Amino acid sequence: MQIAIASGKGGVGKSTITASLLYLLKDEYSFVAVDADAEAPNLGLLLGVTKWDEEREHLGAKVARINTESCIRCGICYERCPYGCIYIDDEGNYVVNELTCEGCNVCGLVCPVGGTISLEEVRSGVIQKATTKYGFPLISAQLDVGKPESGKLVTDEKEWAKKLMEEKGLEHMIVDSAAGIGCQVIASLGGADVAILIAEPTPASLSDVQRAYKVVQHFREPAYLIINKADINPDFNGLEKWAEREGIPILGRIPYDRAIPESMSMLKPVVEAFPDSKASRAIEGIAETIKEELLG
Amino acid sequence: MQIAVSGGKGGTGKSTVATNLAVALRKLGVKLTLADLDVEAPNDHILLGVELANEEPVNQFMPRFDYSKCTKCRKCAEVCEEHAIITMRDGTPFLMPTLCSGCRACEIVCPVPGAILEAFRTIGHTYVTPTPYGFTLVTGRLREGEERSMPLVVEARKRAEKVREGLLMVDTAAGTGNTVSKAIEGSKLLIAVTEPTPLGIHDTELILELGRLMGIPTWVVVNRADLGDIEKVRALAEKYGAQIVAEIPYSENIVKSYVEGKPIALTDYPEAEIFKGLADRVAEFIGGDE
Repeated sequence: MQIAIASGKGGVGKSTITASLLYLLKDEYSFVAVDADAEAPNLGLLLGVTKWDEEREHLGAKVARINTESCIRCGICYERCPYGCIYIDDEGNYVVNELTCEGCNVCGLVCPVGGTISLEEVRSGVIQKATTKYGFPLISAQLDVGKPESGKLVTDEKEWAKKLMEEKGLEHMIVDSAAGIGCQVIASLGGADVAILIAEPTPASLSDVQRAYKVVQHFREPAYLIINKADINPDFNGLEKWAEREGIPILGRIPYDRAIPESMSMLKPVVEAFPDSKASRAIEGIAETIKEELLG
Repeated sequence: MQIAVSGGKGGTGKSTVATNLAVALRKLGVKLTLADLDVEAPNDHILLGVELANEEPVNQFMPRFDYSKCTKCRKCAEVCEEHAIITMRDGTPFLMPTLCSGCRACEIVCPVPGAILEAFRTIGHTYVTPTPYGFTLVTGRLREGEERSMPLVVEARKRAEKVREGLLMVDTAAGTGNTVSKAIEGSKLLIAVTEPTPLGIHDTELILELGRLMGIPTWVVVNRADLGDIEKVRALAEKYGAQIVAEIPYSENIVKSYVEGKPIALTDYPEAEIFKGLADRVAEFIGGDE
């Protein structure tokens, strides 16, 4: 079974809760964990990973380069770049900003001087595998700063995870996805059997999780909701109302608890660092429900 | 002038800082426009308590094949870097719309005039919303199910340029991919909002690196400054020649004012002073140049 954990909004506790759930499920189930937030991967840190067993560079991202020697400075590339990624430098040269280029090659196609603009393959990031101290493997990725293709990085991660499942006979894949609803999140949710959404009771989080749920609906996956920091905003019941209207079961509520940031600074899942804290007890209840309802 | 608020990790308080800084700057008399370029999860309007207004669709080009003219030469499929065009065994092209980036490469290489026609689809919207705080908010919002946020960032930026008054302040998405650099591009100052947790510190390094690569002077605002080891943020800031310009403690007042839809910068809470201080520094940085 493939479970994807998403939230829309960043910072609502997705990785923290995922790390704790992994910790609580590790003894009874076999799985591979995937950190699909390639732009800001944090699950490895929370699981105390200090070294990677294996790293694979992700090549295949492309960026355009302009040869200033043969460039006749006609400016057609500048006009036609769909994303405004070509600029004119102080010397009047046309230059591609590699930190924003999407690699579509339109500039190369419209350039009248053959060979002046080339599309070059560059590294967009790295995918890594670790064996966590808890025994289960983790696949993570790190997009290079300013590079495109974070979604493709996630797709590659999941392919590696699938191979690992076959090789080692693992039952499940648990994917911690990025914030937002774009390519990384779509790659995370695609192919999942079930989505677990995490939100906090604020209007911004409600708005973002509703958008993430629309993506989940695209894939016709059943969704569940976890409410984190459940008590920070007692007058707000927007999440409950929305979940009821959409028929999304609520797996549980986790109260705001300073044990969570403290466990993060210890680089441990909160259920390991402070098992008696109120947050940990709530997460344990959620893990039990996940075992019964989802994992069987 | 343009300045940017970003931060690497999600949920560090970018939007809180951007909206409150905008409010505080306006109170100082600085004319400005705020652009929410976190197109996957735009929230500035929620924090400012306004409904998005003046919606305009972002229509992206996609090819429509006139099969009566198509010679099945496959050039369109070969040139498509996104593999959005697939061809049947006989060369008949088909488009997979969600993969199409709208770059028009297929149209450029098609040798038969009129075989590729223009079609469009709406991949999101931009908004121009007046706020009761004396500045306008421009927002880009990607449609759910669409993968590419870059065109939305580009279009929202264009619209912001069109309506801007004075300083343009952009608020970016989380992460450090190329859509974040697109949002930041052209800024004279990058304000990185971070938190002193190990995760926050890890992601802060990435955004400081992006600032360095783009050659933009960077300031650091440490949010939830009491929930972690601020010394590590200091060391990191020093390594990148960035200065820490504000420290915001974890604050229930901020949560409370946010829930009430009232920017904390306008309240009497002590936290309001932090944003006033930050606004003073920004106002000094931009000088008379808005």
